[in-house]
Amino acid sequence: MYWLDVYRAHLKVAIATMLQYRFAVLIWAVWGFVGPLISLAVWSAATAAQGGQIASASGAQFSRSDFAAYFLVFMIVSHLTMSWEAFEFAWRVRDGQLSPRLLKPIHPIHLDASYNIGYKLITSAMLLPVWGLLFFLLAPTPPRSWQQFLLGIPALALAAVIRYVFQYSLAVIAFWTTRVEAINQLYFTLDAFLAGRIAPIALLPGWLASVAALAPFRSMGAFPVELFLGQVPPDQVLPGFALQVFWLIVALTLLRVLWAAGIRQYSAVGA
Amino acid sequence: MSEQPHIVVDQLRKVYRVHEREAGAAASVRSLFRRRYREVEAVRGISFRVMPGEIVGFLGPNGAGKTTTLKMLSGLLFPTSGEARVLGFVPWHRNPGYLRQLSYVLGNRSQLVWDIPAMDSFLVNQAVYQIPEKQFRETLDELIALLDLEPLLKKPVRGLSLGERMKCELAASLLHRPSVLFLDEPTLGVDVTMQGRIRQFVAEHNRRHGATVLLTSHYMADVTALCRRVIVINKGQLLYDGDLTTLSDRIAPFKLVTLDLESPEEAAHAEKYGTVVERNGAKVTLRLPRSETAGVVARLLTDLPVTDLTVSDPPIEEVIEQIFHGRTLDAGEGLPHVLA
Repeated sequence: MYWLDVYRAHLKVAIATMLQYRFAVLIWAVWGFVGPLISLAVWSAATAAQGGQIASASGAQFSRSDFAAYFLVFMIVSHLTMSWEAFEFAWRVRDGQLSPRLLKPIHPIHLDASYNIGYKLITSAMLLPVWGLLFFLLAPTPPRSWQQFLLGIPALALAAVIRYVFQYSLAVIAFWTTRVEAINQLYFTLDAFLAGRIAPIALLPGWLASVAALAPFRSMGAFPVELFLGQVPPDQVLPGFALQVFWLIVALTLLRVLWAAGIRQYSAVGA
Repeated sequence: MSEQPHIVVDQLRKVYRVHEREAGAAASVRSLFRRRYREVEAVRGISFRVMPGEIVGFLGPNGAGKTTTLKMLSGLLFPTSGEARVLGFVPWHRNPGYLRQLSYVLGNRSQLVWDIPAMDSFLVNQAVYQIPEKQFRETLDELIALLDLEPLLKKPVRGLSLGERMKCELAASLLHRPSVLFLDEPTLGVDVTMQGRIRQFVAEHNRRHGATVLLTSHYMADVTALCRRVIVINKGQLLYDGDLTTLSDRIAPFKLVTLDLESPEEAAHAEKYGTVVERNGAKVTLRLPRSETAGVVARLLTDLPVTDLTVSDPPIEEVIEQIFHGRTLDAGEGLPHVLA
């Protein structure tokens, strides 16, 4: 009940704040279309050049409609799991704005998480018609299994939490160096390949696909997308969830350790 | 005397490690390979106690270590060594039970959300501090009345003036009725009228709720209006801890004697008796060593046609100024080294 009240109060503030900057929020949200649509355009062209089908190393075939389904669902999953903590947190440490938050009797992550949720609620409402229009225009392949589609929902929630906690752990590095951009850049580059943003993981070269299968990025991206599309082999569903839980525990442990050490480190004069 | 102190500070010390380099490109390249650090001892083993309900002025020039001490006491900084307990908690363990009873108002930092009305931030605090609805309304009404907040509550914080924002900041900090309140420059940049309002408010709040207050301010008026006791620190060391009134006896070993004489010519004669601080027509103010004041006043009354005479301590502002700058008001008298 306490946490419900805390999140409800923070969420109201977050939504009110974002509504003050409707236009900027919309621009940010629309920016989320760019990556998946470029990937889709590239793969559509490649598919046409290959005679309408692209085969993966395992023999799976991808048509233009399959790519449309994959990247459209990825666009939504990506939007609902996104996090930008590393930038904001570093700025707050540098600027001393973190101190008032550290004086509150709750961890600052709750306020930040409320903003994250608030942002997604508002922008999803704005983007829903656009998503609908894109589905209509691009005629993607429908899901192969509705059971897997439903399992996609908890996988999406887990993906959002894992990504958020990993991003927050990266953000906390700002206690040591306020220039976390370089580390963040590395994270985003790895994420682009290993989460399945640039290509479905099945189409990655063999060795990269093996890395991607185990690295945390698939748990935060491609796994829920593949579930929504019904593309996960039935015997891989449970291991997929187990891997998500494993990475969630890793992320939480990492955050806990980094936070405890970082807060001791935090000693900016005048902060 | 079973009452326990709210704040116990014992040999608290904080050393910052600061990266240093010369200006210029060559120096910045050199610093890539060999970083030079300097240790800055911001707080050098200070100790004091504050009893429940006390309002204590924490004085010192910029860089004296006041804010560093308050940050350690509020759990924002880990000390290098030493101990402190506030309400029985070690502050830097950051126990939520402690943070729930504490407020730290930083004059130059805001806890209010910038883009929306202050009332929304108050409601967030209600949830975070678990303030029951009835108590929340009572406290809010009280704060609205004392600080005249009504017209401000619905304006976005970014549209408020500095003084208005500080009033909302104070209200946000007091909604949960903290037992310990740290005020760091609460009147910074605020006009004189608003300074007075804030002072009155802090006094009234302390009277009603008995919160223990530790206050730093550059405005002596804040301190003289609110604090009977002051702690003076400079360069991280405690110089004085005691009554504000006796501070001047200890630090300024002289008195001011103001004489009204019959004519300006007579006033010129008064110069022989002490150092002239001010002369205006037939009125003259002399500075006299404390020990000689009685004798000199007797001679003045005998030798000159005095129509009025007052003896006073130097203004507290001057006394503090003297500590801050380590200089004396009178040429012959040096500043005592450690007064505590």
